[in-house]
Amino acid sequence: MEQFITSWLGSTPAFAIPLALASMGLVLCERAGVLNMGAEGYMALGAMTAAVLTLTLGNPAIGIAAAVLAGAALALIFGFAVVIMRCEQILAGLATMAVGLGIAGVVGRPYVHKSFEGLQPLDIPLLDQIPLLGRLLFNQDILVYLTVLIGVGLWFLLERTRAGLKIRAVGEDPASADVAGVQVQLQQLMAITASGALCGLAGAYLSVASSSVWVDNMVAGRGWIALALVVFARWDPLKALAGAFLFGAIEALLPRLQAIGVPAPIYLMNMLPYLFTIAVLLIAAWSGTKKGVEPAALGKPYVRQDRH
Amino acid sequence: MRNPISKSALSLAMSLSAVSLMLPSLAQAEPFQLEGDPKIAFIYAATARDGGWNEAIDNARQVVADELGYPIAVAESIPEDASALKNAIDLYVQRGFNIIVGTTYGYSDGIAEAAEKYPNVAFVNASGTRNSDNLESFYARTYEGWYLAGIAAGAVADSDKLGMMAGFPVSVVNWDINGFTRGVQVSKPDASVSVLYTNSWWDPVKEGQAAKSLLEQGASVVANNLSSAAPFTEAEKADKYSVGFQLDMSANAPKGHLTSVTFHWDKYLVPTIKAIAEGTWEPSEYGAFPGLAEGVVDITPLPDSVPEAVKKTVAEKRAAIIAGELTPFDGPIIAQDGSEKLPAGASLNDEQLWAMDYLIQGTVGGGQ
Repeated sequence: MEQFITSWLGSTPAFAIPLALASMGLVLCERAGVLNMGAEGYMALGAMTAAVLTLTLGNPAIGIAAAVLAGAALALIFGFAVVIMRCEQILAGLATMAVGLGIAGVVGRPYVHKSFEGLQPLDIPLLDQIPLLGRLLFNQDILVYLTVLIGVGLWFLLERTRAGLKIRAVGEDPASADVAGVQVQLQQLMAITASGALCGLAGAYLSVASSSVWVDNMVAGRGWIALALVVFARWDPLKALAGAFLFGAIEALLPRLQAIGVPAPIYLMNMLPYLFTIAVLLIAAWSGTKKGVEPAALGKPYVRQDRH
Repeated sequence: MRNPISKSALSLAMSLSAVSLMLPSLAQAEPFQLEGDPKIAFIYAATARDGGWNEAIDNARQVVADELGYPIAVAESIPEDASALKNAIDLYVQRGFNIIVGTTYGYSDGIAEAAEKYPNVAFVNASGTRNSDNLESFYARTYEGWYLAGIAAGAVADSDKLGMMAGFPVSVVNWDINGFTRGVQVSKPDASVSVLYTNSWWDPVKEGQAAKSLLEQGASVVANNLSSAAPFTEAEKADKYSVGFQLDMSANAPKGHLTSVTFHWDKYLVPTIKAIAEGTWEPSEYGAFPGLAEGVVDITPLPDSVPEAVKKTVAEKRAAIIAGELTPFDGPIIAQDGSEKLPAGASLNDEQLWAMDYLIQGTVGGGQ
């Protein structure tokens, strides 16, 4: 039993980290007032880029860095469309998602199903032998720790710094922010680019750390789950991180329950992560503060008064 | 007027509306006649290089091209919804293509409609469910290969526990699991096979974790009914044997790859397309269902680490299946819950195979 829990918790990041990175990126983007539906595409592009470069150069670090850049670049196209050209955000997001999936499919085609040596866990002696939490806390790759740092950093940025205040102001009331001297478009572009970078990193984690292989369509809807997690987390990066770990823990539990032969219908078991998420959502809705936490200007293209 | 016998039989059948079911078989009295030179189109629901199902068919397409030399077009990522498929088929037919090869269960109804609309075009569909005068669905007796793989796996397993992972609990998957388990029982009567469904056809993250979970629970062999490389990597890391499916997966686990149950669709497609071109094709009203005997299913050669005696047993069983003397599903078949699915002395027929919604005794888990 002890061993079961140790390995279960130890495997949770494989599912949780991609969701955590992507949803934290989307939190940032939405706090700046931009609804970004492209996550699935950025993640696919990131996963492919990281895998292909790791396969050809043998160095996961370069692959991961390139995946971050690729995600950011694709997001910048989205940013240009919605911030500068003021396109409809949902449509532009879906379009960039399709572009990401398409590029990943075409460029990654010769590299499909080729396994490689991916990112390895850090070798921390003794501590990883601690029962229950040892493997979760001390036998992970560097990106797991980085993800937690990003979560805390993002929370600090948004809630405790002037820069974060600007971002939030843009998401709540861009006209007032503009009057107060905040460069609305710049803030939004930066938030969008950062969200693309984080989604690219999330994709890279899927291919280089979680599975050590690239397969077309391997993101498999995780971009959408990340988008749902943003709402679940009430636009709070730390809650998004926690939610991703919760979801990941249940996903990691499912194969283990099956492997020990739990006599439960598998269709029922596969519903669990979603059921659980809905349950937590309901609880959050009941117990949460009554004031709206959704950025007030979310999804609305900002047009300056003098340009009407 | 060409065939007075079938015409009178037809009117007889029509007068007896109760036996209208006979119509398809009567209409098949004469082989399908192709108009013009053969032009073939393969339609895939995803990329043809998917490392598994599509790739196995696409490898066969290359053999068809090499051996028959007919022009072949390929369309990839045509969604499984009927409207997208019908558009693709319409375009091909307009451009003079007269042999359409579908490649997925999801095309079944769309292809059946197209076959009705274009009676002069020949259709075949992999893992489809519909058949008619100009449409034949085909699948393979994969359980025969899995049975042989099971014999080898049971023989080399260093514990009584093996693991098998698969996508969804449907009959074509269940018979692989049951066939594998039956094979394992030939070598190790008391061994059990832990069954794990990932609820997905292609998610390397889930597949890697599934393999890991089986290995953590002490599985000494991981059999993978899915097609990503991740489970082989995990088995290799744990120094355990792995069994692959659809394509030869040995490159993913150079040390531990025991065998792969492989498709050789060219053994079906080449003779079928040849028959279509020559005007001798008569699609089966139940679909084509070839196996080891036809060469459509086989296993890859066992590695040197496998004892000669095991290789010999596998070779003997293989020959017996090909000769029609052995089937993996002889009675009695007892389901996991203890209920008898087939009495002793009987042998499972195709209808019972396609209705296989249970796992047999010897499997663990996989609750449905």
